Amino acid sequence: MPSRTALLFLAAALTFLPSAAFAAGHASGCEESVNSFVVHHVADQKEAWHALPAVGAFPGLTIPLKPDFALAGFNMPITAHVAMLFIAAALLFVLFAFVYRKRSDRAPSGLTNLLEAMVVFVRDDICVAYMGKKDGRRLAPLFLTFFFFILALNLLGLIPFFTTATSNFNVTGGLAAVTLLLMVGGGIVRNGPLGFAKIFFPPGIPWPIYVLITPIEFLGLFIKSVALTIRLGANLMAGHIVIYSLLTLIYKLEWVGTIFIAMVVFVYVLEILVAFLQAYIFTMLSALFTGQMLHPSH
Amino acid sequence: MENAAANLASHLPALISAGGLAAVGAGLTAIGAGLGIGLIGGKATEGIARQPEAAAKIFGPMVLMAALVEGVALFGMVICFLALG
Repeated sequence: MPSRTALLFLAAALTFLPSAAFAAGHASGCEESVNSFVVHHVADQKEAWHALPAVGAFPGLTIPLKPDFALAGFNMPITAHVAMLFIAAALLFVLFAFVYRKRSDRAPSGLTNLLEAMVVFVRDDICVAYMGKKDGRRLAPLFLTFFFFILALNLLGLIPFFTTATSNFNVTGGLAAVTLLLMVGGGIVRNGPLGFAKIFFPPGIPWPIYVLITPIEFLGLFIKSVALTIRLGANLMAGHIVIYSLLTLIYKLEWVGTIFIAMVVFVYVLEILVAFLQAYIFTMLSALFTGQMLHPSH
Repeated sequence: MENAAANLASHLPALISAGGLAAVGAGLTAIGAGLGIGLIGGKATEGIARQPEAAAKIFGPMVLMAALVEGVALFGMVICFLALG
């Protein structure tokens, strides 16, 4: 007899079947190309967030967004991804405010225990490990914010009819810009301007080669930030693109395509793993690069 | 025989378009990712075979390295997407 979890999982996966049958039955009417279907669902939604579709008597839930919001002359449209940022921030705020306990006489349990384990993991195995005890503990709040914010955004994107803000290169670019600011600012404040410039002249190299090496080292700062951006954004976007492309196969192949539901469920579960892993990798690499700038040891 | 060659030659103009080259590029990045992650998995399995009790310790770095290699493959995929449009 399979376990309760396995049965629950199977039941959840089987709920895909009615929608697949619906899609298979109405496949011939669609003139849209695969490309536009996939791009339309992965991209940002600017006018309104179609949270729930209209089914039968249910009119559906469409949350209007403000594409023309402007703050002090800066045009800042509130799109679906921006709404996700607000939702994730509010969620994290409520969650951590709720589980904060000042009593240290009892061991934590349940949700507090889980969150405390993750917080201690990020603080000890990421911050202190790469930046030393003093800097690690002082900068831990920033990296904890990175980790939990990215994790919350990634997991929110997996809920049906929610969208993944971290699949947008602008969001991940903003996060990587914070890391870049920390690298440059931390390097200058900690080592002084001259010490910061000396980081780009690694020791033990004959001086004519510095003409080659130093520009590459300097560009490496920006290349690291761009790599952080694209790694997080592309990883999150790729999972959704694969899922939507497989779903178009159901439209194209009609009844035979319902087999691909299994593949879609598999990629969906893989996306949960990718969500955790990419949050950890972004935080770890940010801590590593910041540690290299704060304590240049080469 | 010459029919097959003529058939292939007729498909070449579509292959050399932006969409065709982007598809070929995406396939190449998939080869790169598969090679890299396959090597990582193989070496990790070898390590576990040498010392089965270290399985949990080997699994952590293996998953981390696989995600980093996959990141590089996804850089290539992003370029292919940019080449599409």
